[in-house]
Amino acid sequence: MATYYFNLKGEPATPFTVSGEEMVSKGRGIKAIAPEGIEAWRLSYNLSTKAVDVAYEGLSEEDAIAKKLEDDVAEAAATLQAEKDARAANEAE
Amino acid sequence: MSNLSKLFGSSGSTTDPRKEGLPLFGMWGGSSDSNTQMQFRVFDSNFRVTGSPWGSTCDTTTNYRFGILADASHAYNMKDHGDNFHNNLTTEGYDSWTNYIKSLYQIDQYPHCFHYTASRDGFVTWQSYHQFTSSFEYQVGWTKLNQVLPEGIRPRRTFTNRRFTMREFMGNSDCNCDYYNYESHLLNTDQAYATGTGYNEMCKMLVMVHSGNESTNTSKTIHIFKSSVDLNATTRIKDFFDNLEWTEYFTDTWTNQNVKDWTVVVGNNGWVGFGLKQSNSKRYGVFDCNQKGVGVDTTGASRQWSTWHDFAGSTTTSYGATNGHQYYTKFQTTWDGTWGMIYSPYYYYGCGINAFCMSIENPRKFININQTKSGRANPYVAWGRTGFHGGWSDNCDSEVWQTYAFAFDPKDSDHTIDTRVYKGSTSGEGAMPDNNSLVGGDYANKTGVCSLDAMRTGLHGGTQTTNYPMLMGINWWGSYGKGDASYGGK
Repeated sequence: MATYYFNLKGEPATPFTVSGEEMVSKGRGIKAIAPEGIEAWRLSYNLSTKAVDVAYEGLSEEDAIAKKLEDDVAEAAATLQAEKDARAANEAE
Repeated sequence: MSNLSKLFGSSGSTTDPRKEGLPLFGMWGGSSDSNTQMQFRVFDSNFRVTGSPWGSTCDTTTNYRFGILADASHAYNMKDHGDNFHNNLTTEGYDSWTNYIKSLYQIDQYPHCFHYTASRDGFVTWQSYHQFTSSFEYQVGWTKLNQVLPEGIRPRRTFTNRRFTMREFMGNSDCNCDYYNYESHLLNTDQAYATGTGYNEMCKMLVMVHSGNESTNTSKTIHIFKSSVDLNATTRIKDFFDNLEWTEYFTDTWTNQNVKDWTVVVGNNGWVGFGLKQSNSKRYGVFDCNQKGVGVDTTGASRQWSTWHDFAGSTTTSYGATNGHQYYTKFQTTWDGTWGMIYSPYYYYGCGINAFCMSIENPRKFININQTKSGRANPYVAWGRTGFHGGWSDNCDSEVWQTYAFAFDPKDSDHTIDTRVYKGSTSGEGAMPDNNSLVGGDYANKTGVCSLDAMRTGLHGGTQTTNYPMLMGINWWGSYGKGDASYGGK
């Protein structure tokens, strides 16, 4: 486990103590314990549970990227379908 | 700074004809398949619409993009290289151009984008036609000079530097229009590969990094040239070197993952910032390039201020020149030319940002800029008088478009005090709070990390229209002056 600093929205900000402590002291950072060996893009600080979440936990970096891409494509397709459904509903009215 | 651009011409009061109004940006909004709805508008730094684009169109399937792109007029099949702008930009390479166009790599300080750009009137153009993998920017864009220019001026001439030769190109076309081998002016020729060049027009100072090869060699010779004539005002590159007032050099050993990433920021005070992407992180160092005398201070150690500084913000896997020429580290300046930015993506091929922002007056003053987006990005461009914005392209169905905007104090150049950054918010109460607090922050020099916040723009895509807006550079922001309705005052 290692210390990581997040901004007030829970986004990763810095792993470095000097920079992180400045953020915390000036009220714009959160100090937390994060698992080591996980790329920062997968880390976020959960403001509700006050703990670090790991996206695609248990997956390797390669698998996590693949899963993220898969999820993004699925989301985009779902969004597009929702738009088409809504448009069709409008036209039916 | 505001007076420097007035030095053009003999009267001392003539505005430099290169000077533009405050930055504009183009906003492309297309439906998911880019074949049912489409809008392209040009906005100014106040988010007011300017110009008259070809217009919007809806619900036609006659051809892709409806001819909004000039390219479609001489494409083979009217499909214009694909049909989809909205992809999330996560792990796709530059050959996946439909995603690359939203990438941080798309644009730098030069007025032309590398993929899509637009005129002030809204005419959108694909810059690299059918062979974009062999075009200038994708192979040798890294040889362009990083230019520090007076207020409101972007590079209007494209100079490149490779080996011991400077060349001039017309924009980002592939045709040479000038050539000069400056080897006879060098006091040291140990390293034969120019791998990073900066020019300061106010100082008429050119600073080059020469390496032992064009890949990973760490040996460096830094050449400093001070001329009595402005490179951008010369008829030929040769004129700059024929009028040298002095030249010096120093040698050093610098760590670099790829020499094509070197970015050179020549400060107004003669201190020069050198930065690059290094693995997933970045490095930045500052050296005194003021005149010391021939044979004096010829080592890096004798000229370096402080130490090399690694990027202090969050990093993750991201690409630089070692992954492809086109991923070279980029440089931009604010409109007023008081702050510069050396930057590369936070995430893989183009999302988020890792940047050093430095005072152009004094490159020893710098902080770290961070935005950790891992999908749906947009390039960053100059915004307002002393700021940048961009980076956000999430679905704007029923939402207004947002940007990660931030601005600096143009008079702030003291590296012994914190750097002030102004930011915005996604709510009015956040942007204009009911208290006396600063919206933004003060950041320690060298180690301070500014984590960017999104702000709302008011630009809306309507409802039931999936769209992932794409921000484009505009190649002419309009002439500077009171006749320009998009000029924001001052």
